[in-house]
Formats: sequence, C-alpha cells, structure tokens
Amino acid sequence: MKPSLSVSIGGLVMSNPVGLASGTFGYGSEYDQLIDVDSVGALYTKAVTIEPRPGNPAPRIVETPSGMLNSIGLANPGIESFLAEKLPELRLRRCAVVVNVAGSTEEEYLEVVRRIESAAGPGIPGGSGADAYEINVSCPNVRHGGLSFGTDPEQVERLTRALRDITTRPLIVKLTPNVADIAEIAKAAEAGGADAVSCINTLVGMVIDVGKKRPVLAMGKGGLSGPAVRPVGVACCYRAARTVRIPVIGLGGIMGADDALQYFLAGARAVQVGTGTFVDPRCALRVLEGVEAWMSANSVARVEDIAALLED
Amino acid sequence: MKQFDAEILENRPIAESWRELLLSWDEGAGEPEPGQFLTLRASSFSDPLLRRPFAFSGYTGAPSRNGLPAKSASAPWRATASLVYQIRGGATRLLSELAPGSRVDAIGPLGRGFGFPDADETPVIAGGGIGLGPLLFLAAAIAERAMAERAAVEARIAPLVALGFRSASLLPSIALPEGAVVCTDDGSAGFRGTPVDWISHNAPSGKTRLYGCGPLPMLAALAELAAERGWPARLSAEQWMACGVGACMGCALARAEGAGYLRACADGPVFDSTAIDWRARP
Repeated sequence: MKPSLSVSIGGLVMSNPVGLASGTFGYGSEYDQLIDVDSVGALYTKAVTIEPRPGNPAPRIVETPSGMLNSIGLANPGIESFLAEKLPELRLRRCAVVVNVAGSTEEEYLEVVRRIESAAGPGIPGGSGADAYEINVSCPNVRHGGLSFGTDPEQVERLTRALRDITTRPLIVKLTPNVADIAEIAKAAEAGGADAVSCINTLVGMVIDVGKKRPVLAMGKGGLSGPAVRPVGVACCYRAARTVRIPVIGLGGIMGADDALQYFLAGARAVQVGTGTFVDPRCALRVLEGVEAWMSANSVARVEDIAALLED
Repeated sequence: MKQFDAEILENRPIAESWRELLLSWDEGAGEPEPGQFLTLRASSFSDPLLRRPFAFSGYTGAPSRNGLPAKSASAPWRATASLVYQIRGGATRLLSELAPGSRVDAIGPLGRGFGFPDADETPVIAGGGIGLGPLLFLAAAIAERAMAERAAVEARIAPLVALGFRSASLLPSIALPEGAVVCTDDGSAGFRGTPVDWISHNAPSGKTRLYGCGPLPMLAALAELAAERGWPARLSAEQWMACGVGACMGCALARAEGAGYLRACADGPVFDSTAIDWRARP
C-alpha cells in the first residue's frame, strides 16, 4: 500500500508533510543547485519585515554541543525588495510557499501582509508566491517585537485576529518555547483565528568565551537550534497538539526520518527541517523518503493517522 | 557548486597542528578558482554538527584543455584537490584522524575567488599563518597563466610572495611558491617581522595588485597599506559559517561604508580591500 503523503493546513494542500524552516533556506534559490527544492512540501521563507534589516553585528553564530546558537537579527531586504525580487521567483515554485512575517509593532506585521496580499492577488493556492503566512512572534534576536509578542497570550490573540481580518490565506503562528506553558500561547493563536501553529522557534542561549571573558556572540545571547533542542520541540508539540484543534507543525532538531516521526507521533500534522539543511542540504528529502518508507512498513495510510499510534 | 563524496588520498601533518588533506572525486563539481572553498562534514554524528569551510590550496582537474573529452562513462576523470588546515577544535580534530581511503561529504566550489592580475601589474601576495593555504593555489595559478601567456606577453612579471609565521619551528613542510620570502615574528627564519613590514619596504614602484589571507589584524594592515599606495587589493576573510551557500546570513562581515553586512561565504570569502571594515570586531 502506497501511503498518501499530502497534508492540508488551513485548506492549503501540501504534497508532503516535510517543509524547509524559515531562516535556514533564504528564499529558496540559494539551494537550487544542490537539491530539487520543489520536492519538499513547503518552503518557509526567511522572515520579511517592512524595512530592510541589516541584521546583528558579527559574530552571529557559534556551534554548541549538538546544536548551534544564532543571532542573525532577521536580516532581510525588506518588503519592497521582497515583492520586486523574491516574489516573482517564489511564484515559479511547485511546492507550497509560506511567507514568514516579522515586525516590531503590530502595524508592521499587518503592513507586510497587506502589501503581499495586494501583490500576490486573491488567496488561491499555487502560483501566487505566497500560499500562506507564518507569523514570527518568537524571534529571540530582536529588541522589539519577536519574543515580547510571543510570550504574551493577549498580544498573540490580538495580532492573529488583526491579521485574520485582512487575509483569507492560511495563518500559521510560530511559537516560542521560551514560555512557562506553550499551550497558553497556542490557545491564544487559535482563539485569534490561526489555521495552525508551528513549534518550536529557537531557545534563548548563551556561550561565553572564557579566555576573552565575554559572550561569543556580539549580541550576547542567541537562539539555540539543532538536535540539542529536539526533545524540547517534541514535548512542546505534544503539549500544543493536545490543547488546540488546529494543526501543529513540528520543528526543532530534525536530522532524519525518526526525528520527524517523533514529531508526528507527538501530534504534528507536518514538520520543518531547519538546521539539518545546513549540515546536509539533502536532509529534508532524506526525511521525506524515510517517513514514506516507515508509513509503508507500518501500513499507515495518511500522515494524520500517525499520531493515533502513540501509546502514552 | 555540487555536493559529492570525496575520497581522502592523504592527510599528512605539515607543521604543529597543521595538516594537508588531499582529496579526490569524480569530476563534475566544477573547477575551483583560487580563493574558493569547500565545506566538509567530518562525521555523520550530531557533535560536531556543522560543516567546516576549507579553502583550496591546490587543484588538478581533467586535461580537457588538450581537446580530450572531459569525461567518459567508463573512466571518469578524477579531480584532485589539496586543502591546508589547522586543528582548532573537535571537527578539525576528527578530520585529522581520517585515514586515506575514507570518504567525506563535500560541497563546493563555493564563494568568490581572488581573480587574476592584469598583464602589466605586479602581483604581491601576503600570507599569515594558516592563511597561506589559498595563496599557494593563487601563486601556482598565476605562474601557470604566465606560462600559458608567455607567447603573447614579452616579459611576464613574477609575483612577490611574503609568508608570515610565528617562528622557524612552525614552518610547514610543504612546497612554498618559488622565491617566497619567509617572515617570522622572532626572526628565527628569514625576514624578522611581518609580511606587511616586508612588503611595505620591498614593494615595487609600478602597477601593483595586492592579495592577502591571514589573521584579521593583518588584513586590516594590508588594507591600509593598499589604500596608502593606491593599490587594488583582494583579501580573503574568515568567519564562522553555518550553511556556506549564502542562505543563513551567519557569516556576516561589516561593510566598510554604510550600515550592513556582507556574507563571507557567498559575497566573499575574497573581497576588495575597500569593501569591508577590517577593524570591526570579528
């Protein structure tokens, strides 16, 4: 029996459940020479903000045990350049394109989405260059917005509702694990009208250079990703999936098919590969192959049937 | 740029904590230019996690220039590359333990290279420490071009090469470019002082193009020297990288003018000396 890999997120049908996480894949073209990008289920773009952002001073990254710490600071060319240069390329993609949106005020998020709505046209999946939005309320590396939104349920609900009013495209709210209970924030996103939540964004971390007696990253702290955070991601996903009815998209440290299957068993409808792509650009496609083989071997017909197999 | 499996032919110590790695693979990834690099994954485990970048210090491809087919199915041409590296942490330690016959996952060639001097320019090459790696490739490629163009150019100008080391005991056992001046901090071999000192006293008066690779303070000094003398200069920078292909924005270097950053991996690693703020905190 050949399993069906397609999944639906807020009406957007993805050909398979494996996506490429925001911030790890640019806007897609960087990896075109290395893998068939269109074979993934979804490409989540680097965050887009209203103004161009140069990003944080260097050093921005440092390797940690089974992970890495980054403090990129949402470096991106801004909405103007995104619409002129990136959106036309994204329209040619055969995979779903989810535009990651960030801002330092509620109005900035709204303005990015308004600008894309008017450029991308009505919310018809496929060929618009923006099939859905992922709302980044969880970036630990910017002074305003980011985490300060994502840790406050009221703000998450209000922002989600305001965005819901201006778009019919699926809204995915990306959650931070840097909270006491991720379920509260997931509920707030659902109450505001989100179609899905993705979890997790990075964990706040710091590495200190003992010789220099100062943090290695220029900004001091950064966001931890990679296999080191996987158990945190799986637990957050498990908690969120048992709290909300909307789909949960799992990410955090997925390097192979078994890692993705942990997320599916924990209740995720889809997954994203992030840091794994840096290590091996073919990671997402290997994950996809492995998940399909596992589903065949275990006679699982659909991705959403995997969660029910968890014995807990 | 391609991702491919490379076979280790040799992995030999050339100085205290320095190694030369010889790699071979079926051609098809493309021919690297001096200054370009590969990323290697030293292990399939999650710690160390990220790939590491290594500049090419030499490359031999297929003899396709002789009019032979570049490749045949039965006997594909093998590309051979040399990479000079320093054991700095877990990943390079693991790499140093890989024996001939082992295979490593490679991506390359990546980044932008040094380019070549104009026919009427004297190339001046300055290296510091392990930064000599890509300069070995550059000096060899300049010499090869000089040979090829000898018919067209009456008197091709030989490059001036100055390579700096801490002391004589750290000199690598590797062939240095012909006529290279060895500089040591303590005067235990060759010129006592830095390559920047040597070049500022021995530089040619005519048209000159400067190339450099080494620690950041040296690159800053080379950029200042180039500005003083009005030389165009191409300098190779180093920065921590995650992806190596331009996606992650991790390997930022501050621009010389205005706000903003350039990516060491995709905009560099070799930059015009005027493009980067070499005095910014690394």
